[in-house]
Amino acid sequence: MEEHSKVSNGQLKALIITTNIGVGILSLPSSIADIMNNAGWIAIILGGLATLPFVYIMNKLAEMYRGRIFYEYGKEVVGNMLFKIFSTIYLLYFMVLLSFVVRIFGEVIKAYLLPNTPIEVIIFTMLLATSYIGRGDIKSISRMAFLILHIIAISTIIFVILSLPTLDLTNLLPAFRFNIKDIPEGIGTVFFSYVGFEIILIALAYVEDSKSALKSSFIGIFYTTLIYLVTFFITLSQFGIHELKKQIWPSISIMREIELPGFFIENLDGIMMATWVLIVFATMGPLMYTGGVVLSSLFNTRKHNFFVLPLIPIVMIISLIPESLSQVYSTMDMMVRYLAIFAIIIGPIILLIVSLLKRRKRA
Amino acid sequence: MEKGDPVHKKLDKNMEKIKDIFKNCDDVVYRQFKVGINQEFSLAITYIDGLVKSDAISDFALKPLLEAARKVEPTPLTVRDNLYGLITEGNISISEIKEAETIDEAVDAVLVGETALLIDGYEKIVILSTRGWEKRGIDEPETETVVRGPRDGFTETLRTNTVLIRRRIKDPRLKVKMVEIGERSKTDVAVLYIEDIVNEKILSEVKKRLENIKTDGVLESAILEELIEDNWISPFPQIENTERPDSVAASLLEGRIALIVDNTPFVLIVPATLGTLMQSSEDYYTRWTIASIARIIRYIAGFVAVLAPGLYIATTAFNPELLPTGLAFYVASTRINVPFPAVIEAFSMELTIEFLREAGTRISGPIGTTIGIVGGLIIGQAAVEAGIVSPLMIIIVAVTTIASFTLPSYEFAAGLRFYRFIIMILSAILGIYGVMLGLIVMGTHLVRLNSFGIPFTAPFSGLGFTTGDLKDILIRAPMRKIRNRPDFTFPKDKKRIR
Repeated sequence: MEEHSKVSNGQLKALIITTNIGVGILSLPSSIADIMNNAGWIAIILGGLATLPFVYIMNKLAEMYRGRIFYEYGKEVVGNMLFKIFSTIYLLYFMVLLSFVVRIFGEVIKAYLLPNTPIEVIIFTMLLATSYIGRGDIKSISRMAFLILHIIAISTIIFVILSLPTLDLTNLLPAFRFNIKDIPEGIGTVFFSYVGFEIILIALAYVEDSKSALKSSFIGIFYTTLIYLVTFFITLSQFGIHELKKQIWPSISIMREIELPGFFIENLDGIMMATWVLIVFATMGPLMYTGGVVLSSLFNTRKHNFFVLPLIPIVMIISLIPESLSQVYSTMDMMVRYLAIFAIIIGPIILLIVSLLKRRKRA
Repeated sequence: MEKGDPVHKKLDKNMEKIKDIFKNCDDVVYRQFKVGINQEFSLAITYIDGLVKSDAISDFALKPLLEAARKVEPTPLTVRDNLYGLITEGNISISEIKEAETIDEAVDAVLVGETALLIDGYEKIVILSTRGWEKRGIDEPETETVVRGPRDGFTETLRTNTVLIRRRIKDPRLKVKMVEIGERSKTDVAVLYIEDIVNEKILSEVKKRLENIKTDGVLESAILEELIEDNWISPFPQIENTERPDSVAASLLEGRIALIVDNTPFVLIVPATLGTLMQSSEDYYTRWTIASIARIIRYIAGFVAVLAPGLYIATTAFNPELLPTGLAFYVASTRINVPFPAVIEAFSMELTIEFLREAGTRISGPIGTTIGIVGGLIIGQAAVEAGIVSPLMIIIVAVTTIASFTLPSYEFAAGLRFYRFIIMILSAILGIYGVMLGLIVMGTHLVRLNSFGIPFTAPFSGLGFTTGDLKDILIRAPMRKIRNRPDFTFPKDKKRIR
């Protein structure tokens, strides 16, 4: 009953959205406001557009090698030895990204929910819970993504409705004043809030309807952009540009600002935090899974599930290396970016060029 | 399969063999007699006392053989060659007659309640269909009662049960395939499906799994369920069971497959999903608005059943700031005299409820109700007055338990109960974050579950979400609006209302 449980288009969209949105959404409004001021929304849109070529390349590759995953056909394209190096870099990327995500997750949970619990416990338990789905198959992961997508959608809508009464739309202005030189940096910052969509390097091999896979991927990126935009506009109009720049995680602290009429529920941040745990989980699950898949392709084994648990101690150690939150956001973020440039941009492009050349030679 | 000994020409030899097989089985009845004008033809019958309709044997088999056959005067020569034909075609007035080529076949037939008729000089044994034993009449099902709807429930007899389905779907395309499972129990299992709706792959998967069972006995459908389930470690059932023929008929029309096991009124339905476990047959017999609200309430109840005690522990012990200030103070004030931490409080009350539940199921009837009242009211009241637990805790435990009983599937509610305890432990260690971790683990488990290759979380996790399966899962839309069969069964014939 293989074809009964393939990844459907809706699930592919959900997979892209949930892997995109993770810890990035917490800091994105303030970090983009730092660079672009009120015009940050332009960078968000441009950053979303900037991912599209790479989504296209990944789809193109999947089309050329239908039914097989990136880490499999890569060996054929560039040769086994060279691709081993590729895979090692990919593995490093997934582990560092995972550590980055889980560290920020731990910091946020510690700051808002469990001030007395050691961060190691939070990180370890989260990694352990995530490894459960990481050991599953891509179908389970995409089902999970589909479930969580609706939670994201509902909480975004609630978030928008609740913040409407206290919005100050004049804070949005001047919406078009920006320095053209800042745009590259702005796009750079935003672009890395979209990392995670490289899960389609694997997921595209299992899609039900490969013809509309590209369209679904684009729609997924579009929804992510939409959610980022909404978050940016709401935090900006709530705080104003100067206060927004001072915040580390404006998307959480905004929940403290919101007051419900009737005062039945006062502290929405707790409920939002709980939802956010699910969102981060939906980001980490696919990363964990991909890490296991890359490891298994390095060792040429068919099953990936043995390789997921050994990732936990390594990721945990990496995540605990930075001494402070500011180090996480400077050093670790930098590392993730450099690795992401390889993983999302260079790797797929090299593979596409080489396989196109090979195909031409054959023809 | 081995054929066993062929039937011997001599009646005595055959009788010896059968008697040897049934050694020390004192419920087996043998009777040897002679027929014919000159009493020259030896015959014998064998059956198990109590499994057969004795009237049928004496009226329709023995009587014609002993009396009617004597009055005829056939020429010995023709009879010699044709006794068998004369008896089977002429004398015996039982409607169903079979032939057995081997002794073992005859023994198997005797064991299911047929009568073996041995004729001297013939290498075949005649099997007379005389099944008939004491059985319970058709009663109202105990577990799934409805306010409006049919009152008949399945019984322990397989044949009665298939009739109950046949009466509801009078279609030659409704197929009833019989399978025998269990080396010793030889339990009959009927596989029911509608030929031009059911998906062949699911059907062949069901048949394959049934064939692969190697066990000595299947005494209840629950045993069969565990043997053919996708994940038998899971606390959640991946196969639905019901006592109601109407819900089986409805499932067959959805393109699902029913497995009726002999000797139990519980019929299995595959594949099952989270959504179908939340459906109750009553939903279809009430107005759609009421039914839809009931469905939504059931989902809320599911969440309450899993989360309520965990959230209580998390908010009182770790994150009181999540509550509105007034409520937080109120909760704190009710707990001011309670000497235990919230975990101990919650666990002791949950344990008490579990005791009550166990006691209630062991002792049914008036004593069970009394125990419920004594337990629920008196212990609760006394515990609060003694200051051991806070009144809020009692309310939460009671609401949780009631919520778990609103779910139509008892097994599914039991699975949720299992996760409730895990979430309670996690919330005691990690607060609200622990509750979320518990939810994540439970969600992951559900998402990874399959029922005969069909994702268990359909349609919530994608399959059939866009084609409108939620209309009959999350709510119960008006009948005219549920035009298609659900997606998860992959029916050959998608349209329900044309």
